[in-house]
Amino acid sequence: MAEPVLPTILLVEDTPSDAALIRRGFDKTNVLNPIVWVKNGQEALAYLSGLGQYGDRIRYPLPALILLDLDLPEMTGFELLQWKRTQPYIRRIPVVVLTIDKATSAINAAYDLGANSYLVKPGDPEEIMRIVKSIQEYWLGLNQPPKLVLRATPDAS
Amino acid sequence: MLNGPVLLVEDDISDFRLIQRAFAKLRPNVPMIRLSHGDEAVAYLAGDAPYENRSLHPFPCVILLDIKLPRRSGFEVLEWIRSQESTLKRVPVIMLTSSNHHVDVNKAYELGVNSYLVKPSNNSELEQLVSTFREYWVELNQGPTV
Repeated sequence: MAEPVLPTILLVEDTPSDAALIRRGFDKTNVLNPIVWVKNGQEALAYLSGLGQYGDRIRYPLPALILLDLDLPEMTGFELLQWKRTQPYIRRIPVVVLTIDKATSAINAAYDLGANSYLVKPGDPEEIMRIVKSIQEYWLGLNQPPKLVLRATPDAS
Repeated sequence: MLNGPVLLVEDDISDFRLIQRAFAKLRPNVPMIRLSHGDEAVAYLAGDAPYENRSLHPFPCVILLDIKLPRRSGFEVLEWIRSQESTLKRVPVIMLTSSNHHVDVNKAYELGVNSYLVKPSNNSELEQLVSTFREYWVELNQGPTV
């Protein structure tokens, strides 16, 4: 049988309660896209590179959108952005930073490292719903994503 | 959150009028500046003549950039922006074009575009696009300091 064709969203978030809220937000706004949750930058790198189990691109397709927290254990969001921009194909995947950090220096650094957009995570669950709805409308509705072969192993060249 | 006008770089006069009309319907109003070719966009962003005065020609918070432009294409403008040493390299750039060709979409992302939008063929969809663009980039997104 055919696999579901909706593109995957990669959520990189170390706080389980935030990840749960964001995923619930997507459920409530009827986003049917599969959401893969990884807890730190290293795991996101492994996923994007197709290391280990993530080499199975049928089960773990490349995401069409990355939602990235910045303050992460092992490898920070900034370090992941820095790595990502050097990777062929993967560097095209849009990254929306989603963090509690409102500092101008963090915002500027994220753009300098190639973040596509920067959103501040509100404390209030209702506000998170509103942000998730905007992400859905804009990034899954209006925006044209890069054309990648999401379900095959990316060419390492 | 609005930190400067929206800069529209669009050479086609009828497309410009339609986009302008969609912007005019936005409440609250969002100031928009239009330039009609790539060289003008580069001069504006660099603050070269006749755009030296930033109180008359404020730096934009976000750029809507067509691809097919006279003199310098949208790709060349984007490449120029991202290769600058100064903080202007960070300005969010969104392609707004009639092309949804894979080669163009991928090239724009390779050159560091923030987002890629395809011009709809009918007017009500264009109004919807402009309204969603405003909600996201003007109201929700945290822009960089340029």
